[in-house]
Amino acid sequence: MRGLVALLGREKVLGAREDLLLYEYDGAVDTATPDAVVLPESTADVAALARFCHEHRVPIVPRGAGTGLSGGAIPVEGGVVVSFARMARILEIDVPNLRAVVQPGLINLHLSTAVAPHGLYFVPDPSSQKACTLGGNVAENSGGPHTLAYGVTTNHVTGIEIVLSDGTVLRLGGKAVEDEGYDLVGAFVGSEGTLGLVTEITVKLTPLPEDKRTVMAAFPTMDEASETVSAIIAAGIVPSAIEMMDQLATQAVEASVHAGYPLDAGGILLLEVDGPRDGLDDARARIEKICRDHLASEVRVASGALERERLWAGRKGAFAAMGRLSPDYYVQDGVIPRTRLPDILRLVKDAGVRHRLRVANVFHAGDGNLHPLILFDSRLGPDELERAKAAGLEILTACVEAGGSITGEHGVGMEKNCYMPLQFQPSDLAAMRRLKDAFDPDGLMNPGKIFPTPSRCREFAFASTAR
Amino acid sequence: MSATVTRAIPADAAECARVLADAARDRRTVRIRGSGTKSYIGDIAPTDIEIGTSRLAGVIDHEPADLTVTVGAGMRVADVAAVLARAGQFLPLDPPHADEATIGGVIAANSNGVWRARYGAVRDLLIGTRIALADGTVARAGGRVVKNVAGYDLDKVLVGSFGTLGVIVEATFKVLPVPAASDGLVARFVRSADAFAAADAVIRGASRVEACVVERSEGPAWRLAVQARGSAPTVKRAVDDARREVAARQGKSNELGDELGQMRELPARAIDGALVRASLPLAASPAFAETAARLESLAALVADAASGVVRVHLLGDDEAVIRDAEALLLAARVVGGSGRIERRAEQLRSRLSTWPTRPNGDFLMRRIKDSFDPAGILEPGRSAFA
Repeated sequence: MRGLVALLGREKVLGAREDLLLYEYDGAVDTATPDAVVLPESTADVAALARFCHEHRVPIVPRGAGTGLSGGAIPVEGGVVVSFARMARILEIDVPNLRAVVQPGLINLHLSTAVAPHGLYFVPDPSSQKACTLGGNVAENSGGPHTLAYGVTTNHVTGIEIVLSDGTVLRLGGKAVEDEGYDLVGAFVGSEGTLGLVTEITVKLTPLPEDKRTVMAAFPTMDEASETVSAIIAAGIVPSAIEMMDQLATQAVEASVHAGYPLDAGGILLLEVDGPRDGLDDARARIEKICRDHLASEVRVASGALERERLWAGRKGAFAAMGRLSPDYYVQDGVIPRTRLPDILRLVKDAGVRHRLRVANVFHAGDGNLHPLILFDSRLGPDELERAKAAGLEILTACVEAGGSITGEHGVGMEKNCYMPLQFQPSDLAAMRRLKDAFDPDGLMNPGKIFPTPSRCREFAFASTAR
Repeated sequence: MSATVTRAIPADAAECARVLADAARDRRTVRIRGSGTKSYIGDIAPTDIEIGTSRLAGVIDHEPADLTVTVGAGMRVADVAAVLARAGQFLPLDPPHADEATIGGVIAANSNGVWRARYGAVRDLLIGTRIALADGTVARAGGRVVKNVAGYDLDKVLVGSFGTLGVIVEATFKVLPVPAASDGLVARFVRSADAFAAADAVIRGASRVEACVVERSEGPAWRLAVQARGSAPTVKRAVDDARREVAARQGKSNELGDELGQMRELPARAIDGALVRASLPLAASPAFAETAARLESLAALVADAASGVVRVHLLGDDEAVIRDAEALLLAARVVGGSGRIERRAEQLRSRLSTWPTRPNGDFLMRRIKDSFDPAGILEPGRSAFA
């Protein structure tokens, strides 16, 4: 602590108990208190900090806005949490090259807002985009509703500046789409802070679509909604977003956001097509017809930007709205092949019943990326969270057995690292470990994440079902 | 280096891994061969063993409604396309050597065509791989679902790794439904600046085109080829928009024939002289092309306006080709891009290295290579960081 203050100055280091408490949690359910929190203001600060921690063998845990949903920013093995709150500037908006260069603490939505006057935007739009940071997006390879057509964070990052755990500063990639040699930018994105600290990010900017059509369709049950998703894809339509919500989620959202979703529907789809104006109404009409063919009780097309915003506010505010239903929730984000949606949704429901917990579903149906929100009440005792986790594990096991993944966009973190053997064989994990050792041979970067740790994962012994 | 090359054609991933483990134990060097279409890339010398992937072929999984396909790495891209076409789908990759290139080769060489304007590159479409490793194990990276952040994205490291880390035995890609309509145009310009300005307007416009490529070959004229696919109204709009941008810059539009195919296949044709491949920030392409146009040995130039990847074919006197190639690589670097000598005639091999400078992060690349291939047997001469 004293060493850190001497190195960086009093105003960049937090060590008081009451300050540290603010950094012991993120958007998930686990907590751990850091030994110190550092608020660097430059790459030089970050490099000095890394050298210090390397010398003293202290773990480093990077943190953006703390909105992560897998405990990625939690210092599970202690050490220094590095908050990027003071490195939040846009360094360059390069319109001719369709790039922006930003610092990691920049809030996702602020980038799109800043470049909108140029007719551009940053595509990945996680539901937390009003709060989450670009550095966090890079760490988690974040997605969002519109990644169905346009890809996730890794498809929109061309360059990074990183600080390795020994303090080495390295610039990888740049404004060009690719560099010679191994794609280290691609390796780093989605590495959950375990390979290094990102201090600067070069992202692609995309021309804003000329127009959009947003459709809300209500179905009697989730089955019809699921079948509609498959039918739309089979018809050769690739919407920019296909989101699904069940009745429990709809009720919570309506109570808090008043998005205008019908309360009596068993399942709701929110669909969007965007692009050149010509053809949008054609696509919208085909989507409407497919919805009606699948017994939609109501199909509503947003009449303008305001109504579209309202429909999306419901979807993006869904997690926050869960507070209307329950004091706590535990969210999983397993992925399945789209065609397995109806089976898996039934299984999710059964898992909830079996563990005596309510489950709300609000998710990226077009990608097959589930978000079951398992509702519990920690005031009723520790058993509640345990049952929620047990239900979550059953759901993830089913996702892997269906040929899917334990996480589509939230990351493994400390929440699912014990579950990695569900999806990966020892040889798969060993290959990943080689990458880790190349970047961080001393294991100081965000330890206890992604890879199963013997101490915490003893109770889990899985045989991988992966082919 | 031995005089005779041992050829192995493993039937499955496990056998492939065994061949590698034996080779590593005996310190025998290995080349991996799909169809052999891109064997010109790299500073390669003969190896002790050649592993052919021809038996690692065939469709392993294709559920059309999931919009994914899993295939053996030895399968030809053209054969994958034929299978998908029967389900009304396509793999949105159009690499050079279109008839022969295999899936594994396309991944290993990061081989992209002109479609990346719309669909992205190999790295954007590949969602899973299985690889046979030099320690005799088989590892899987990614998966078979379109969204997946479990663990590191090793697929990205394999794209463009030229087989230096292991043998790709299987791959899963995102696929798309075949669009209802397709159309395009090709335009001629006197000035390169006009061709690039029209291309830039097209890629920034509301219409989303599939390909937008500027070319210069025989004669002083510049050509712009634009292709759009999608629903009929969007295609019409895209071509109308492109035609207007062309006309506004004194270009002459014609119907699109096979020009894009010819532009894409420049690497296949560039047998003599040298082929420089540069990846540039988008806005740097026009000046780079202008520089190339002044070179004594310029034979052809193909610039993908949507990605900033520019290929320049140089022909003529060896000294001029070498001088011009080095000038282009330098020009790429000074604008924040990178480049390589993708192909060169036999007599230029000793004088033009594929990667004359090391990329940033070369020490990390070296560590990754050493950890996957400690004996250093895999694809000698194909590491950009060596």
